[in-house]
Amino acid sequence: MAAEPAANGHDRRRLTAALLGPDAAPEPDRTPAHVVRGTLTDISPHMLGLAAPEGDRRFIVTPQTTFWHGGERTARELRPGQDVLLRCVPGAELVVERVWADLARVTGVITAVDGDTLRVAAGHDRAPVTAVVPYRASGRIRVRHPRLEEGYLFDAVGVRDGDAVRALVPATTQPPYPVVETPPRPPTVRQAARVTGTASWYDPVLGRDTAADARGTLMGLAYPALDRTGDCGPACDRATPCAPLPLLSLGATVRLTNECTRTAAVLPVVACGAAASHFCDRCAACGSQASGRIAELTLAAFVALGGQPEAGCCTATLTAGEP
Amino acid sequence: MIDALRETQVWLLAAVLLLGAAAKAVDRTAQGPAVLLPVRLRQPFTRLHAALEAVLAAGLMVLSGAAGEVVRAATAALFAVALVALLRLRRRDPELGCGCFGGLSTEPVGWRSLTRCALFLGAAAATVGLPGSGWAALADATPRHGALLAVEAAVVAALSPEIREAWRRLRSPVPCALREVSRGRMLRRLRASGEWRERRHLLVSTEPADTWRHACWWLARFPGRDGERSVDVVFAVEVSGRRPEVRALVADAAVGAVDAGGTG
Repeated sequence: MAAEPAANGHDRRRLTAALLGPDAAPEPDRTPAHVVRGTLTDISPHMLGLAAPEGDRRFIVTPQTTFWHGGERTARELRPGQDVLLRCVPGAELVVERVWADLARVTGVITAVDGDTLRVAAGHDRAPVTAVVPYRASGRIRVRHPRLEEGYLFDAVGVRDGDAVRALVPATTQPPYPVVETPPRPPTVRQAARVTGTASWYDPVLGRDTAADARGTLMGLAYPALDRTGDCGPACDRATPCAPLPLLSLGATVRLTNECTRTAAVLPVVACGAAASHFCDRCAACGSQASGRIAELTLAAFVALGGQPEAGCCTATLTAGEP
Repeated sequence: MIDALRETQVWLLAAVLLLGAAAKAVDRTAQGPAVLLPVRLRQPFTRLHAALEAVLAAGLMVLSGAAGEVVRAATAALFAVALVALLRLRRRDPELGCGCFGGLSTEPVGWRSLTRCALFLGAAAATVGLPGSGWAALADATPRHGALLAVEAAVVAALSPEIREAWRRLRSPVPCALREVSRGRMLRRLRASGEWRERRHLLVSTEPADTWRHACWWLARFPGRDGERSVDVVFAVEVSGRRPEVRALVADAAVGAVDAGGTG
């Protein structure tokens, strides 16, 4: 459903800028050179090779380089064939700062439970995800998701395991009621050109074929307040987000600032953030009091803005729609 | 005096029931006692509740005799059930509004909504046994009826937090950037504009090829032809205001904008 409007995205941005002024629809930023994704081909204590859409590339591993695969790891514990995301040192893009291997996330509404396996609906425009909560992580997950039952929200970061995701770290505290019993939110009366709230992330390629699929490093965001009458479509299952977000369509561009690192980027709206619209949570990072998810960044955009994907969120300010 | 007081109750109850039905029809999300039901029954219940209120309101005004008695007794029964439901709701979810007037009833169930419901129950009970219909009483209304109705309306208004909520919404409506609008409504606004009439001759089709939203603006792209050139005629229509600003441009389908204009 999203494919055709996304193809029109550039035209929409160009025409919006021509009619409403360049500030209303600024040019989006490209993927920065220090964010790289691909399939790991070899790794040693000093070098790391990966197959990326732009070709085979090699990077320098230093003693300061850190590795994550469901937790902090060493270079020896990574295996060729894994989907890896690198954050290199800005300005020295051959030196790797941090490596995430097989990073994955499950965000949405639980639709079925079978033992330690959950089926999670990730929104009307994405395929449902199977999450497995391993015994060693179940205590940690249960503390913040006490009700692993149908109809309740679930959000956890973990590692990809075939078509499923091993959920290891809770990314939010689950609301104590099922989604359908979410209390009605009072109507918003505030004007909303700048909104501060929680920015989370999602993986547009689900860890698949990152050696060839350039969407693995797509810079963009899934927007929780996508216009219902247009792109969201008749199957739209997004809720009204609790942050006062302006209504936008695919192709719009917004400025997003990570309040923790003060890094900013202009990002295009590339998908519907239906799953994120159900969350009215607060990100503990930077001690922010603002609640509500304002954007679900693509994994590359989240890392480019200085976010820690294993933490699940960062506090951010979104500026949109100013003509 | 007592008869006049009983007759005014019919008009008051009819007005309240009609307003309640309209508010529930406008905002169909489950509110108030509907949340005591299983999820799948909430929306049908809300619709049924609104329909029942509308039917009772009409019945109170037009029916007399035995049929009128049935309607008046049913109205009393409705308010009795509502009072019990509100008490249960307050015990189960003290933060929830009563839902009496749909989404306007946001204040948690408290002494005001309970007293109001009890007052309506008493008013409905007082109407049982009246010989004529509400219309018949209205035709023979006296200044005494008017005075009694005014006093009672003032009491009901004092017990109704919805009035303050409605006033607040009127003074501070949903900001234009957040307001949901239908495609049909925006197309009507566009077609009523001078910008549309001025560029109408360029359009190949009057149905937009693409529409999108940008905060306070709704934009539509139409395929067009300017001589031999294929062009896009694009309009931006403001979402708010009675006379919305409309901007337009003609862009070469391949290259970019060539002519732009706007109206206030």
